Amino acid sequence: MKVVVAVKAVAALDDEAELVDGDTAVDPDGLEWDLNEWDAFSLEEALTLRDGAGDGEVVALTVGDEEAQDSLLACLAKGADRAVRIWDDALEGADPLAVARVLAAAIEPEAPDLVLCGVQSSDAVNGATGVAVAAHLGLPHVAVVKRLELEAGVATVERELEGGLVEVLRIRLPALMTIQTGINEPRYATLRAIKQARDKPLSELGLDDVGLDAARVGASAGARLRRLRHPEKGEGAEMLDGSPEDVAARIADIVKERMSA
Amino acid sequence: MTPPLAAEKTRDVFWGFGTLVEILWYVLAVASVVVFAYGIGREVAKYRRGHATFLPPRAELPGRFVTGTRTLLSHASIKRRDPYVGWAHRGVFYGWVVLFIGTVILAVNTDVTERFFGWRFFKGNFYLGYSIVLDVLGLALVAGLVLMMVRRGILRPRKLDYARPDRAPGDPQYDRGIYRRGDWVFLGLLLYLALTGYLLEGVRIAMDAPGYNAFSPAGWVVAQAINPLGLGDEALGVVRRTIWWSHGLVAIAFVAAIPYTKATHMVSSWASLVLKDPLAGKRLRPIPEDRQQEPAGYATLGDFATEHLLQLDACTKCGKCHEACPANATGRPLSPRDVVLELREQSNAALHDAGVGGVLGTLLHGDGRTGSARRIVGEDAVRPETVWACMQCNACVEACPVGIEQAPIINQIRRRLVEEGELDANLQSTLEVIHKSGNSFGENRRRRGRWTQELDFEVKDARKEPVDVLWFVGDYASFDPRSQRVTRAIARLLHAAGVDFGILYDGERNSGNDVRRAGEEGLFEALAEANIATLAKCDFQRIVTSDPHSLNTLRNEYPELGGAWTVAHHTTLLLELIDSGALDVRDRLAYRVTYHDPCYLGRHNGGYDAPRAILRALGCSLIEMPRNRDNSFCCGAGGGRIWIPDPPGAERPSENRIREAVGLGELDYFVVSCPKDVTMYEDAIKTTGNAQRLELRELTELIEEALVGAPAAAAVG
Amino acid sequence: MILVIAETRRGELRPVTLELVTAALGLKEAAGGRVAVAVIDADASSFAGALAVAGVDEVLAVSASTPHFEAHHTQRAVEALIEAEQPALILLGHTIDSMGFGSAVAARLGLGFASDVTAVSWDGGPIATRGAYGGKLVAELDFPGHERTLLTVRAGAFDPADAAGAEPAVRPFDVAFDPPLTEHIEFREAATGDVDITKADFLLSIGRGIEDKDNIAQFEELAERLGATLSVSRPLVDAGWMSNARQVGQSGKTVQPKVYLALGISGAVQHLAGMQKADTIIAVNTDPDAPIFGVAHYGAVADLFDVAEALEQHFA
Repeated sequence: MKVVVAVKAVAALDDEAELVDGDTAVDPDGLEWDLNEWDAFSLEEALTLRDGAGDGEVVALTVGDEEAQDSLLACLAKGADRAVRIWDDALEGADPLAVARVLAAAIEPEAPDLVLCGVQSSDAVNGATGVAVAAHLGLPHVAVVKRLELEAGVATVERELEGGLVEVLRIRLPALMTIQTGINEPRYATLRAIKQARDKPLSELGLDDVGLDAARVGASAGARLRRLRHPEKGEGAEMLDGSPEDVAARIADIVKERMSA
Repeated sequence: MTPPLAAEKTRDVFWGFGTLVEILWYVLAVASVVVFAYGIGREVAKYRRGHATFLPPRAELPGRFVTGTRTLLSHASIKRRDPYVGWAHRGVFYGWVVLFIGTVILAVNTDVTERFFGWRFFKGNFYLGYSIVLDVLGLALVAGLVLMMVRRGILRPRKLDYARPDRAPGDPQYDRGIYRRGDWVFLGLLLYLALTGYLLEGVRIAMDAPGYNAFSPAGWVVAQAINPLGLGDEALGVVRRTIWWSHGLVAIAFVAAIPYTKATHMVSSWASLVLKDPLAGKRLRPIPEDRQQEPAGYATLGDFATEHLLQLDACTKCGKCHEACPANATGRPLSPRDVVLELREQSNAALHDAGVGGVLGTLLHGDGRTGSARRIVGEDAVRPETVWACMQCNACVEACPVGIEQAPIINQIRRRLVEEGELDANLQSTLEVIHKSGNSFGENRRRRGRWTQELDFEVKDARKEPVDVLWFVGDYASFDPRSQRVTRAIARLLHAAGVDFGILYDGERNSGNDVRRAGEEGLFEALAEANIATLAKCDFQRIVTSDPHSLNTLRNEYPELGGAWTVAHHTTLLLELIDSGALDVRDRLAYRVTYHDPCYLGRHNGGYDAPRAILRALGCSLIEMPRNRDNSFCCGAGGGRIWIPDPPGAERPSENRIREAVGLGELDYFVVSCPKDVTMYEDAIKTTGNAQRLELRELTELIEEALVGAPAAAAVG
Repeated sequence: MILVIAETRRGELRPVTLELVTAALGLKEAAGGRVAVAVIDADASSFAGALAVAGVDEVLAVSASTPHFEAHHTQRAVEALIEAEQPALILLGHTIDSMGFGSAVAARLGLGFASDVTAVSWDGGPIATRGAYGGKLVAELDFPGHERTLLTVRAGAFDPADAAGAEPAVRPFDVAFDPPLTEHIEFREAATGDVDITKADFLLSIGRGIEDKDNIAQFEELAERLGATLSVSRPLVDAGWMSNARQVGQSGKTVQPKVYLALGISGAVQHLAGMQKADTIIAVNTDPDAPIFGVAHYGAVADLFDVAEALEQHFA
């Protein structure tokens, strides 16, 4: 059972982060990096499947600069067997389709039984990368999986639809799935485990190593960022100030007025 | 009346026995010693499972022997907080010790000097002195035993019912009645031995009428009771022989049973006191060098440190920790005593499973494997919820009369639970947040110094210029909005007093005290190493902090990681400033206040006096709560508990404490000197419905009020 | 032209489709003057009536080979439609179904692509607006070098078009399907319990900010006192603290109460999708930059427990 988990280091934006480069990027000082919440679930699912199968390998793979290193170490600490980080400065600001192209190129030689991705990342919230990887690899895929059971090379999965509806379906491996939060309880990686994870194999690859060139990756991008801006402050939201008691009194007034209207 | 010749003053040990009977006696006595020795061997086999990393070096042993024995002889730790038990145990202890020494002396005379060298010293004035000392101390033993029995039978303190808070009533393991019965048998046997001893003496005196009755007063009284019965020598002889055997057989059986019963504490508790770690709980132990590659902490008996395994046997079930534990007092599934007893039961059960062969194998080969694989965490052992209920306040360690390290043992179990992922989800995410951002609030680290922005002066960056006082602010004081008000008050006072101080701004990390106590040893190391590296580059005279948790870790734990500095609590510094006149605040406030000792300032670091001295200097009258100083009651925030939700409905320790304060009558303020206490007790004052009756002040706020003459609340915008 | 991909489920047109039509009609002239809606369903032509919106020029009916949505078949059909019709802009709902094929189509055909788009304009080509950094920033994207662009549009970002016009012409569109790669077993309705939050006029909604399962009881009490129905955001359902029946958001229920009082909900885009149409939204959160303040009518930066406690006093 070989599972590749594509993960991402996501950036949390500090409230005071400044926009730079003609409002097309955020000052790196205003960003804190962490493993994407969804990816903690997909990694946990991969580890559970490997351990349930009794043998196999979990490979954590990411496209990212050095900021992503800690997230990969966390994956190794939690139990991934090895990790791969792919980076080239040409990938700065890459969109989901460009990232998917790189991921697919790196996953292909691994020939995994299963590729797991998070449904989306908490910073970009595209919900697009995983399925685009499947398209490049020609793999069958299911998006937004909240339950996964494997038997004899066939997965029975539950796809979480809108309004609490669930679709149960079957898919044959190899396949790619994007994993929804809540599917399991991700484990904790102790700092000791993270330190020990430094002894596990972590390879750093460039675009050449996965058979791509920078120009081609750029051309595979689906979009260009024109500019970033802060949302207009509280577009319409009137802020209630004062002590919690003051706030509660105002809320009570609003509620009573609206409910009687 | 002429006294009989001194040379004749003695008694016959094997009175009128035939040789065969004497041989039988010796066979039994030797058997008893063999059983005793095997029992001791068994204990040694148990302790061999552990690792000896933290045992004190041999060179320290003589000094420790003296200290430990002094604690024992003085009964200082036994009588503490319970003078009744102090007196009762003294009676039993000194009675038993003297009677035991007496028996040894007699045995040396009878079985060595007289038998082999024909020299009998058990006679004359020596004998008379011996007789009177043993007679009187025997009475002390009886008195002590009777007091103990009165306590168990009539006074019945709840701590002696041994019902477990970590098991539900009805659970077969809930009621530890066997311990209750065992303790009665133990007391009963001792009383039996003492009383049959006196009876034997009385019959002997009645028969022999030796004439020096003043040296055997108790025996003489018994003889006076026997004489009127008018029994002839023959009848008395039968009685005397019967009593001799029933005393003697029980005595040697008792000796044989010592290592297997409660009596073992005579040895194990003493040994535990000798090995007692003076920094227990204040400085937790690192992961031993040679165990870095293994899972951290305790999950099996083989993971334990030797001294911890010994401590399991040292417990006398006295219940002092049970009584002091804030988790137990508020209905949580934890009693430190029951954790120790559960572990002891596991330790013994594993030995039982190994059988005699396993014990002897361990002793002969020294491999320490007997039962070392037995798991001690789980539904039928120490339950995870028990381990997580602990606040690591060290009240148990402080209270324990025999030097058991309940809280550090619990901490070791937590280390493994953390590695195995058996931790509360909130705690898990907090630890992840601390790892990521260096503080438990998940704030961007650049904001750590933001509280200074509202001051009308600059606070120095101690990383950039030398300072006299390096102020380690800590997470709560830096980020919690309520505590920030106190933090700014401290800054204004230091500024007003002309203290040259600075902070580390975004160079500071969570000190790691609570992270370590939550069982995340690796994260603690990382935080400590980062702080030590930052501090090492700064130029300062001493470190001051308003956070007792940081104080404890910086003072007691950083030195082992290479960061040894003088660390003081802000109350110490502020008292200096008041005493030197730099802060002119004397006799300005006439409030009636009570003061709560933070666990990590008081119990862990002895910081009881400076806060009280400040209150006195301000002119406040201090009304002490019943539980104060070393018996202070934890607010419930320690050991990472502040990051773990409390069970719904249950009384919080902080609420229990506020009720204690309210019980003192009219008070102006509940005074604290710890940022976490500010949060915990302001909540508890509200949730107990005492917002109209009691208000909280951090000590600094009172000092500032005294200095500027305005209520502290007005001084904080 | 603009090609809208309709979304159907169990014989019904999903509401996002008419929102996409609104978005498409707004750009119709700039993008070549034609709007077609493609329906991929076992009974595709039956949806023409539901798509009777003035300005929709044509319905392309793709007869699906499976009774229910199958991601690979839909992907194949959309690819075939794009190749045959050459639209400048393809609009999909940013829904669970389209997450299963939208980016795959874009990747395979080399289209311009953006997902979870909240606004679209035209300047020689489409310009899409979407959130960045978890919704804390807004990003504007364009698609240079792409003649065709596929956008997935957030549900609720546009008002639904009025389907009261003349029924548009229906043109059957044949697609050669391979055997499906997934096998549908069943749909399962999550247990709803006795509560239907979509019917409530007043929702008290709680999120991650309540910190702990044991605090839920307190808010159940508060809701009762306020005369509100308790609803929750996703993390509370993920944690197993509340049933999915009370969940507001994309994977939960879409609600439209008179008053939506959100305590401790920061406002992930999936949550906002489920409640932004409420008449009055009041949000209390400790984070002044929480995205929920972007859709709220009233906001307060405060501790939700303090506010909750004080609020009780006003509803005796």
